[in-house]
This record gives sequence, C-alpha cells and structure tokens, in this order.
Amino acid sequence: MNEQLSLYGKTFTSRLLVGTALYPSPAVMRQSVAASGAEIITLSLRRQSPDQQQGKILWDYIRESGCQLLPNTAGCKTPREAIALAEMSREIFQTDWLKLEVIGDDYNLQPDPYGLIEAARELVGRGFKVLPYCTDDLVVCRKLLDVGCEVLMPWGAPIGTGQGLLNRYNLQTLRERLADVPLIIDAGIGAPSQAAEAMEMGFDAVLLNTAIAKAQNPALMAQSFKLAVEAGRNACVAGLMVKRQTASPSTPTLDMPFWQQVDKVPQD
Amino acid sequence: MAANALSRRSGAQNLQSGSLWRAFPQGLVAKIDGILSVKCETKPSIAIAGGGLMGRLLAWRLSLQDFDISLYEAGDLSTPSGACWAAAGMISPLSELVHSEREIYVLGVQSLELWPGWAEQLEAQSGRSVQFRSLGSVLVAHGQDKSELLQFQRELRGKLNGDISACVQPLGADELRQLEPALENFEQGLYLRGEGDINNRRLLPILLNVLRQQGVSLKERTPVSCHGYQLEHAEGRARFDCVIDCRGLGAREQIQGLRGVRGEVLVVQTREVALQRPVRLLHPRYKLYAVPRGDGHTVIGATEIESEDMSPISVRSTMELSSALYSLHPAFAEARIVETRVNCRPATMDNLPYVHCEPGLVRVNGLHRHGYLLAPALVANIEKLVTEQVLQVA
Repeated sequence: MNEQLSLYGKTFTSRLLVGTALYPSPAVMRQSVAASGAEIITLSLRRQSPDQQQGKILWDYIRESGCQLLPNTAGCKTPREAIALAEMSREIFQTDWLKLEVIGDDYNLQPDPYGLIEAARELVGRGFKVLPYCTDDLVVCRKLLDVGCEVLMPWGAPIGTGQGLLNRYNLQTLRERLADVPLIIDAGIGAPSQAAEAMEMGFDAVLLNTAIAKAQNPALMAQSFKLAVEAGRNACVAGLMVKRQTASPSTPTLDMPFWQQVDKVPQD
Repeated sequence: MAANALSRRSGAQNLQSGSLWRAFPQGLVAKIDGILSVKCETKPSIAIAGGGLMGRLLAWRLSLQDFDISLYEAGDLSTPSGACWAAAGMISPLSELVHSEREIYVLGVQSLELWPGWAEQLEAQSGRSVQFRSLGSVLVAHGQDKSELLQFQRELRGKLNGDISACVQPLGADELRQLEPALENFEQGLYLRGEGDINNRRLLPILLNVLRQQGVSLKERTPVSCHGYQLEHAEGRARFDCVIDCRGLGAREQIQGLRGVRGEVLVVQTREVALQRPVRLLHPRYKLYAVPRGDGHTVIGATEIESEDMSPISVRSTMELSSALYSLHPAFAEARIVETRVNCRPATMDNLPYVHCEPGLVRVNGLHRHGYLLAPALVANIEKLVTEQVLQVA
C-alpha cells in the first residue's frame, strides 16, 4: 500500500534525502547518512575548484556510501554559473541527476525563480534530470514542470533556518493542485516533528542537512528524522482524522452523569 | 607485541577509529614496546621528518634530553611551507569544541597548561618573546544572529556535560566594552576564560634558532619518506634509532585517507581600531576570527574549504572575510590588506589527530585546524613515549 518513492523512473524505499555539508567531520557525515537510511544524498562542488579535482579524496569517500548522488549547484546566482557547474558535476560524479539551485538573495538564500526556470529549461534540454530547489509559488512550480522538470523541491523555509513549514497554505495548494508530481520539501526543516508534518500533508519526501549536521549527536538526529519521515508517511497513507471542535472521549463514560459531561465541554 | 597490536588497531587502513592518540590521556603509552632499538653506547639518534610546528616542537623538546636529533624538511626552514605558517596561532579549546569532538578539548586543555612554561623556556633560551597570551577570547554576534550565542552555549553545555559558568561568562554591552572597547556595535557577547594565542610568526623562527643552538642537525630541501628505523631520501637510506614522521600532507602517500582542507587568511593593518584579544564573530554561515598582532596588525580567518587547493585566495573569500571584519568595526574599512595566506590543513576523515606507532617509527599527523591547540599535548606524549623507551632499554 505504501508504495515506493519514484523519481525520474528510479524507485527508492527511503523518503528522506540528506545533504553532506556542515558535519564535524567526514566520518560523522557518513555515519549520519547511514543512520538516516537515505538513498539519495546531495553534495556541492561550488568552492572546491572542481576542475582540478582537488577535493577528490572526500568525493570518493562520499561516493563509497553507495547512495544515489545528487550534486547541487549551491551558491550559484546566475543560470550560466549553475549550468557550468552542472556540467562539471555530471562529468565528475557520472550522474545526470542534479539539484538545481539559482540563488536570488544572499542573506536568506532564496531561489531566483526567473533564473531557475531559465537554467532548468537549458539543463533539461541537455539531458539532466533536474530537481529544482524552488519557492512554494504555484505558478513558478507550474513553469518548472512546463520546461520539463519531473520533480519539484519547494522550500519549507529558507535554507538553514530550521523554521519548519512557514507557509502551509501555499504548500497545501501545491500538494492539491500538483497531485501527481513528486514534491520534496527542501530546506528549512529544523525538527523531526516538522518533517513528519510535511509527510502527513502528503509530500513525497523531505530533504535536509543543517538540522542533522549541526546536532550535537548528528547520527542520532539522523535516525530521529528517519523515524519521523516514516511515521509521517505512514500516517498520511493511513488517513489522518479530521480535527474536531469538541473533545470526545474515546471510551464512553457511562458512569458519569450527563450534566458533568456537559461541564467538560470547552467553554469557547 | 603490544606495539604490533596497537599499530594494527591504529593502522593506516583504519583512520576512523582507534587511532593510538586516544590512548594518550589514559597514559597507555607506556605499554608500547619496541619503538626504539637502543643498543649503542653513543647517544640514541632520532630523525624527525617535517619542519612544521610539530617537527620543530618535537625536535626542541627531545633536544633538551640526551638524544642526537636530525630534522628533515622538504622545503626551506626559514619560511615553513605548511599550515602552521598560515595559521593565526589561536589556542582555544572552548571555541573549537563546538565544531569538534571532546578529545580535541581534552588535548587542548593539556596544551594550554604546557604553553606558558614552554614560552618562558623558549624566551630564556632565545632572548626573544614568542608573544604567548592567555587573555581569554570574546565571541560576539549581530542582533539578528544573537540566537547563535545561545546555540553556542547550549552546544558547549552539551559537550561538557553541564555547568559552563566557570569558563564562559555572558557579557552585556558594558562588560563587552570594558574588555573590547572597539566592539561598540555589539550589545552582547561571551567571554571564554583562559583561551590563549601565540604569535606563530615569531614562534617558528625562534624555535629554529633554538634548534641551531641545541646542535640539532638541520637538513633543508631534503624530501624523505619514513620507515621503521630508517629514512629514505634522494641519496639513499639513513638509519636511526627512531623516526618520527610529522610531514603533514607530505606524508599523504603513506597515510591513507589524509586530505587537505583549504584555509584562507587575511592580514590587515590599521591604527584606527584595535582589538585586545582574539575575537570571534558568530554567524549562521561564516566563521570569522580576528586575532590582534603587534603594530596594528590583525589576522583574520579562516575559510574551510574541502579541497586540496593551494592557489591564491579567492575574491569571494576575500569579500566574506573582509565584510565580516568590517561588521566588527567600520573603521576596519580603511585598514590595509598587507598579506593573504593560503594553505591546506592536513586532516583525517574523523578530523581527529592521527598518531601511529610501530617499531622504530612514530607517525603524527592530521592536526587539521587545531595545530597550536593540539601540538604541545601531542608532543609531550610522544616525548614521554620515546624517552621511556630509552630509559627502559638503558
């Protein structure tokens, strides 16, 4: 019943994607990736002079995790930069999967929707499997689908803030209107409860980095997110109850006189 | 036998766990046999490969005892080529603890205890000051990032299992101004007691002079590879009673998983604004420290980029570092950038130091961003290890 996550024709059991940056050490990163159960991990080349392959030791170490690599274009501000980095990543990591980031604002790392759509169109044309990091704007999301993206990754909140799902209305709209598109909540998730909430709302997966990498015990936090994502997904499939205004006891209180039961009803 | 068991456990194939250095704080070093084979009547000979901070400190400490020391360096000793020359020389176990494991802190505290005495001894021997200070350090964050100060305290409390009031003092605006008058744009901060720093651009040349005085045989521009009881270089092999390999990234071929982590540093000079002690700016994405040096100089750093890239500093890093500095005090805008430094820190995959012993050979490496913080503790332990072997044999 709980079918697998399917992205660009590839299926995955885990619905948690994790980043590989910001950990206290590469060893802790790899333990945490293992504990998260993630089958897709993102990694960045931006500042590592990829053309010289000088970060190779670490890349090989990340590759050994056996996960599907999802190179990103973190830090790129124009389509041109993002496309150049994407090509370099494809060559180095031998994968056409790409988390596309085109950043429009330096402080909160907000995606630039115009640059993003332009870069996505070009990269899809060049055969990339593009997973764009985007805002929660329905029209932007539609345009990304129009240019050939098969998966979208709307933000929950700005990168690294841990604020959770800031605009539930927009996110709910996306989920309802783009019912058949795999949607992954990327960025802004700070606590397992927030990840569970995203999954309960019907999102297909969650991608995060900071909340795990910056935890005092990253591997334990990774495991917590794994469980939360599973719980949220299961809850979504199982069917959540609809919230009610009044408290209703789950077992009948036959021995309680009816006027006392009335008192228990919240007064507002 | 114990040595073999330990070297297997800490062997090159297994950098992630069980590196021998973990045993140091528990005093297990005495159990390692057979590092030295001292049978001779003459002074035991020790070769140290690598003339960076570890190599120099080890050569100095061991030269104070009855050893015949040779120090080999692939480059020039007058301008060290390693990370130790680019570093800012901070000795800050508390600040570093937040980004690293507790073991770094334990060794760092040991080092902080050793530095003052060593600095004094070096000054007595050389007649020059290495400018060691332990004035504590100050952490600040801008208003919009003040949650970083709380996060820092929370992480420190977690890592130290409890009360941190003895070492960390929250600062209000007035207290902050008293300690650091220049930080007038900040309303709050943290004071980390006891943290120190040393002027590495004085320390390293002074160490070199002292080594000359002590009669250490100095061999520059001599790349070597290290093996048990012997060194291999262009002219052949040389035998020693013990070889200590401190070559940093130069030992890459012999230590699997060793990687370089690029760091970039700016040095600025101004008369308009001065800090009294190392200051760190907490920010969600950037890590900045500013360490005041004499003559209006401030060393600011440091980027941490996962790439073994020795090319000059990037525009982006220059902008990040200088804008963070400018945000400490606007008068830094008119400071002059007098130097840029780039180097790569040798690091293992767990970012912990690597110490490996086998008969006739000790390898120490992977001090990463903690050279001045860890070196004295590691040196003292290796010194003890090597000396005990000699006493045992004698």
